[in-house]
Amino acid sequence: MNLAQRSIRLCLYSTSAQVSRTKWDLMSAVCLERKPVLSGELNEIERKFSRMLADIELENSHKSDHEVRYETETLQAELLKSKSLDLDIEQTLQQTAQDFEDAAVDEYNKFVFESRITEADKANDLQNLERKLDRHLLLLVQQKQWDQKIWALPQGLQKDGETMLQTAERVLREKCGDDLTVQFYGNAPCGVYKYKYPKMFVSREEEGPVGAKVFFFKAQYIAGYVDHNKLKLQEFKWLGREELMSSLSQEYYRNISQFLIDEE
Amino acid sequence: MIMIRVGLTAALCRLCISDVQSSNTSTRLISTGISPLFFKASTCLYAEPLKKKKRIDPAILKQREERKKKRLEKQIRRLERNAKQLKPIDELEVPLELVDGKKERMREAAVITPAVEEERALLTKDWTRYKRKQHLKDMQMIDRLMFAQQKALDELRQESEELYQAAIQINPTLLPFTVRGPVKTPPIKGYDSPDGEYTDVSKKW
Repeated sequence: MNLAQRSIRLCLYSTSAQVSRTKWDLMSAVCLERKPVLSGELNEIERKFSRMLADIELENSHKSDHEVRYETETLQAELLKSKSLDLDIEQTLQQTAQDFEDAAVDEYNKFVFESRITEADKANDLQNLERKLDRHLLLLVQQKQWDQKIWALPQGLQKDGETMLQTAERVLREKCGDDLTVQFYGNAPCGVYKYKYPKMFVSREEEGPVGAKVFFFKAQYIAGYVDHNKLKLQEFKWLGREELMSSLSQEYYRNISQFLIDEE
Repeated sequence: MIMIRVGLTAALCRLCISDVQSSNTSTRLISTGISPLFFKASTCLYAEPLKKKKRIDPAILKQREERKKKRLEKQIRRLERNAKQLKPIDELEVPLELVDGKKERMREAAVITPAVEEERALLTKDWTRYKRKQHLKDMQMIDRLMFAQQKALDELRQESEELYQAAIQINPTLLPFTVRGPVKTPPIKGYDSPDGEYTDVSKKW
């Protein structure tokens, strides 16, 4: 609640535009996620509660047509055994309720469902989107920063005349190709990461940028694959939430996890 | 007087059968019931005489029958159309088969031991606690997301007012946006559906 009040106050009071005196490079980054394809497994308490609800519903329910038919047929069968009733040939030729039930159960058992754990899971193929189907996957790209290569969300510098969202779209197209179909979630950025350029790499002029502000834009993966001509296999990976911490720098990870949706 | 009488009989001579003009009529006769006049009035017909049945053209008869058939068919179609429309839920009634067969469909009252009852009560309480924690976590997450977005917008505003104004515009192309939700098992690759593919042919306006 404290956070909410603070954010509301920020909305109300930041009415005037104050242009900062220091110059920052403006960059857009794309937070591209493949949403879960499978629903998660129920945990223990959810399983127990759903079983209890099913029991209560059964107790309060009336019998269905199938159940009534089944009971009448069992009664008939018992009567046939004890007293010799006239066998109605037509009735015996029809499928009894028990037969129908058995046939249905057989069909269900014979049907083979696709496994929830795919081959990509077993092979631990980080470039494959079929991995971890019940969790979120985030696209990370290897980027050159100064003298080292680091893993980060794909980002790029804003050009003149572009809005930040257009920059983000352009960055994604340049890095991953046209095949990837995504849906951006709107014009507003979801987070910001400010960092100052280390002094040895920055020119000594007063006018130059002090650092960079990276604005993150959320997008959802819809279809397509990353173009392998633009990004080779070692240069990109789709990671689940637990694996992010090991690949990203601590500060960057802290910043990003602020606007990522929780997972249990 | 004589002249008038002769004129009258001459005028009305066609009404009587006998030859009036040739016979010598006496001018002193007054009654109407004798030879020169012979007015015969028919019996009082209070009702109209029966009309003659005209022969109707068979084509017109056919037309009439066709019109009647069309009217009936139209009414049938109208009833069917009403039947296709779903009834509002307030008007729905329990189907008669269920009302009549209530006795045979009732289950015997299940025996719920006090132990089971207590277990259920405790489980319900655990569930409320679990759901409450989940709800609080969700609310905290939403607050965190909103805070991060507001911070980003503030930083952007500090940099450039123009970019900020572009960022807070509503994007009308976003909606309608449809996504298919998560399923229990992934789709089987190359599955040939035994019921066939479903193609939606409903009209779109």
